Amino acid sequence: MAQMWITMGPQHPMTHGLWTLRVKVDGETVVDTEAELGYIHRGVEKISESRDFTQITPYCDRLCYVSAMTWANSYIYAAEDLLEVEVPERAEYIRLIAAECQRLASHLMWLGAFGPDIGSLTLMTWCMRDREMFLDLLQELGGSRMHYNYPRVGGVKRDIPIGFADRLVAKIKLFEKRIDEYEMMLDESTIWLVRLQGVGYAQAEDMVNSGVTGPNVRAAGVNYDVRWAHPYSVYDQVDWEPAVEKPTSVKGADCYDRYRVRMEEMRQSCRMILDAIEKIPGGKNTNYANGDEMIQSKAPTRAPEGASGFSNYECTRGASQFYIQGGGDGRGKNPYRLSIRSPMFITIPYVAKTMIGYKVADIPAIMGSFDPCIGETDR
Amino acid sequence: MGMKITLEQNTAAAEDCASRIEKRFGGTGITCSVEHHSNALKMAFVRITTPPQHWPALAKWLRFDLGVNHCSMITGTHFPDGGADRGWEVAYHFMRQPIQNQAPHTQCVHIAESLKGDDVPMEFEVLIPLANNNTPSVPSVQNIWVGADWNEKETWDLVGIQFEGHENMHRVLNPHDSPEGFHPLQKQHKIRYHEHNEMYDDAQGFLRKPADEGRVK
Repeated sequence: MAQMWITMGPQHPMTHGLWTLRVKVDGETVVDTEAELGYIHRGVEKISESRDFTQITPYCDRLCYVSAMTWANSYIYAAEDLLEVEVPERAEYIRLIAAECQRLASHLMWLGAFGPDIGSLTLMTWCMRDREMFLDLLQELGGSRMHYNYPRVGGVKRDIPIGFADRLVAKIKLFEKRIDEYEMMLDESTIWLVRLQGVGYAQAEDMVNSGVTGPNVRAAGVNYDVRWAHPYSVYDQVDWEPAVEKPTSVKGADCYDRYRVRMEEMRQSCRMILDAIEKIPGGKNTNYANGDEMIQSKAPTRAPEGASGFSNYECTRGASQFYIQGGGDGRGKNPYRLSIRSPMFITIPYVAKTMIGYKVADIPAIMGSFDPCIGETDR
Repeated sequence: MGMKITLEQNTAAAEDCASRIEKRFGGTGITCSVEHHSNALKMAFVRITTPPQHWPALAKWLRFDLGVNHCSMITGTHFPDGGADRGWEVAYHFMRQPIQNQAPHTQCVHIAESLKGDDVPMEFEVLIPLANNNTPSVPSVQNIWVGADWNEKETWDLVGIQFEGHENMHRVLNPHDSPEGFHPLQKQHKIRYHEHNEMYDDAQGFLRKPADEGRVK
């Protein structure tokens, strides 16, 4: 039978963003693929060279619009490595809570977008409803719904408000029950299981060598997580364990495993937040003034030439990394070069190749299960 | 309770890696040191500096003898004022991750504190300074780490560093019809308001004077 190339994207529900997947098909079977990225390349790396270290944070928020807090944190840890800053412990706890709330919101966004891919439109409405709880919480911290500009070099912008802890705990406890509801709905749905099981196999070693990180690798059976392997923040002091799945075949983890691992990760984030809010130094119902030494330490504004900072951060889609070289314009006030490693930039070409051999109708399920985000991919 | 790799484990593993690299490649121009990050936890990593001609041999050895299985990111930097030996620099970041394929219905749960030897996760930073000319180029490691493939494409696209032997090199973030030789992260390309003071004193540009002021009657 004749083979032909068809183009999915840039406007296609499967893409979850703006990119093109070119698929070579033989009848219904995918025989070759090619990913084309770069539609929303904004040049954040170049812009950063003319901004000082505080001004870069909002750009990093906008790298990924569903997971702004983790990206800003990721940048801040690299800047702190460069500027040699130590952060007060209370600020680390607040960052941890904020990042895990963001992880819940991001995974809910993923599940909400993944549901319609599979044919469950109800899921979208449920997930958006629950995501709103976490956006409200993050709004209390950062002041806006999606782009917070919350972490600062050496601390956080402002302390948690009075009463935040009670609202946080109430919402997390409610959400833990909601996760059970999701699982009751999805794990007994024939459509869900038929579309996900046995589709999109990916092996652990293959993924690591291809640069895939995060939940997608943990679905293949190893509990490797940057939060313990390259520790930062106070993750060793709070109660959690990395979510990990058992792959169902010698061919590795399928789409269903990747869905399971993210559900488990949401449970672990809830567990972590509930524990962290109790252990927070200085008490959960105190509010320190902006710039107080409990939440903000002094930080230099200039980095010398030759200095470099690096952060390895468990973002919601895998390891996000920043590499900053000091000594730029303004006698070191700007970075000389800032480089961003986006987990999805490396994952999307890999996923495109894993689709080979499956049917065209499986493409949305496979692509969606890896949680693509194009904002961070194109930078 | 959460867990983490302790500083002792991490430092011991970094020193072990550094001494093995030193033993294998000492005297060839490849230098290796154990560095510590400067933030709160002071975790150690291995920094390797190598001339480009030794990079393929070193890369193969890192991958297959030291077990460095993950290529995280590649950063190219342009130093127009960097002197004859360092006009460009390529910085690779690698991770060694204790990850193996799992049999069906089994999983591997590492306990961080009890990891030993080559199972301790480790970060490697490989710096390759390149001579100050208009054709910077390093050997490609695309066939050693698949993850390096798109990282190299991106580095060429944005910074203009050639990767010898890289198959299927093409633009990934810039438009496919960008002019040949246009690589926006090279330092001769300035963006608007590039001067720091100008950005603050006159952000909207109202006070900016025409370039020919004083010469026009």
